[in-house]
This record gives sequence, structure tokens and C-alpha cells, in this order.
Amino acid sequence: MRILIVDDSKAMRMIVIRTLRQAGFADHDFAEAVDGVTALAAIAAEQPDLVLCDWNMPEMNGIELLRTLRAAGNPVRFGFVTSESTPAMRNTADENGALFLIAKPFTAETFSTALAGVLV
Amino acid sequence: MTETAAPPAPPITAEHVAEVAGAVWDSFLGLPLQRTQEQPEPASGGMSGVVTISGAWRGAVVLQCSPEHAAEAAEAMFAAEPGSLSPAEVADALGELTNMVGGNLKNLLPEPSTLSIPSVSGGGDSQVFVPAARPVLEVPLQSGASVVRVVLWQS
Repeated sequence: MRILIVDDSKAMRMIVIRTLRQAGFADHDFAEAVDGVTALAAIAAEQPDLVLCDWNMPEMNGIELLRTLRAAGNPVRFGFVTSESTPAMRNTADENGALFLIAKPFTAETFSTALAGVLV
Repeated sequence: MTETAAPPAPPITAEHVAEVAGAVWDSFLGLPLQRTQEQPEPASGGMSGVVTISGAWRGAVVLQCSPEHAAEAAEAMFAAEPGSLSPAEVADALGELTNMVGGNLKNLLPEPSTLSIPSVSGGGDSQVFVPAARPVLEVPLQSGASVVRVVLWQS
């Protein structure tokens, strides 16, 4: 499977990929995007199986990306990985079709639990 | 002369700050970070990361440390050799650390509010000032021999 990691921090993209490998997902293909605009183009071109996306980013943030995708009829599996995790944000993510919201900081176990049943 | 009432104290304590920052340092850097009583002068040439919060609560979260600790933290995040990272990569890591500490503290504040993209400065003699705000909580933390200060500013 192909997983697109969207985060404006290069360090965080590396940590997400490293944690995915630690969580047992090392045999998947990983691609990266630095914001929602770049991700939108990458999703159209590469058609990933899962998008793991930060919320707070320049240009186009994570929830704007998700809304844009769903408005265009794109059902790609989508989850947030973000430092903000208020109940309101979780509700907004859920209402717009996100599968989960992982709060930073996270562990490999967090990813194992969140992705169970998603990466099959 | 008109006196302006001070804003109410934020619902964030030094314990909250220590818990949030300690979890970030432990999870992503593998480094300890604990409260200290040490109150060093703001370091000349230190590095600062800033995120602002706007909405029902207005202010900023500032994270300050030495360039050496910023580099150590970045090397842990990137799993990189000592001295191998560019200034931009060190700034990227400090910005993300600030984002995580600020985002987790924002979870404790009144909603709705919005967190800014982090900005990072350093290497000069300048200190951080947040316009139209005042520091309401300053928490010195220690990681090995390094001091990390988290300062909460409130408008």
C-alpha cells in the first residue's frame, strides 16, 4: 500500500515514517507532501491508499484538504496526526470523513491501534 | 490615569507545562525534561520558537533553549549524526517542538481558538516580546545540563 504523509515539518514527516516502520508497517510505500496544496496534487497523481495528515499547515491546512477531497468525491482513507486534539476538532474530523485523529506526541502502539483494520 | 484590569489567569499551571513538554521530549527525543528551580537569565544567542493562539483565549507560547540543545533535539528527531544538520533543519525541529507543546497547551484553553504556524528565531542577541501581551507563566525545565524555558504570554 502507498501512504502519503503530509506535514510542513520535515522532522515530523521523518518521525511519522520511522514510527510507522516501528509499528510494523515497514513494507508499505511512503510518500511525503509539505502542505495541503502539495498533497492535493500528490493524491491526484499517485492515488495513495491512505493519507496521514497534519492539521495546522500553511497554504492549505489539513481540514481544508480533507473537505476539498470529499467535495471532489475522493474517498481516499484519511487520518489526522496533529498536536491539537480538542473534542471539537475530533468531531470536525469525524464529520468530514476522517477515520481517526492521532495526537502528537504518539508512540508506535498509537499507530498500531489507529491503523488496525485500516491497512489491510 | 486609567487602570486596565489584568486578564484572568490562564487555566494552565507549571505542572501542565512540565507534563506536556516532558511527554514530547520523552516520546520524540528520548531525552528527560523536568522542572528545575534554576532561573537563568535569558540566554544571549539562544533560540526561540513561538506559536500564537487567537480566539477565546489570546496569547502565545514561547519555547527557548540554547543553540546546542536545539541541535541535540533536532539530531534526535532526525536520527542524525551530531553536527550534521543544517540551520534550517534545526529550526524545523524547534518549530515542531514548539507546535507540539503549544498545541497540547491549547487543548487546555477556552475554545474556540486557533493555533498559528510556528516561527523560530535565534542566533542573535534579541529577546522575544509578544506585542500587547505580558508573560503570565514562565516554567524553567532541565534536560541534562540544558535549560529549556516555556513562557506563556497572554493578551
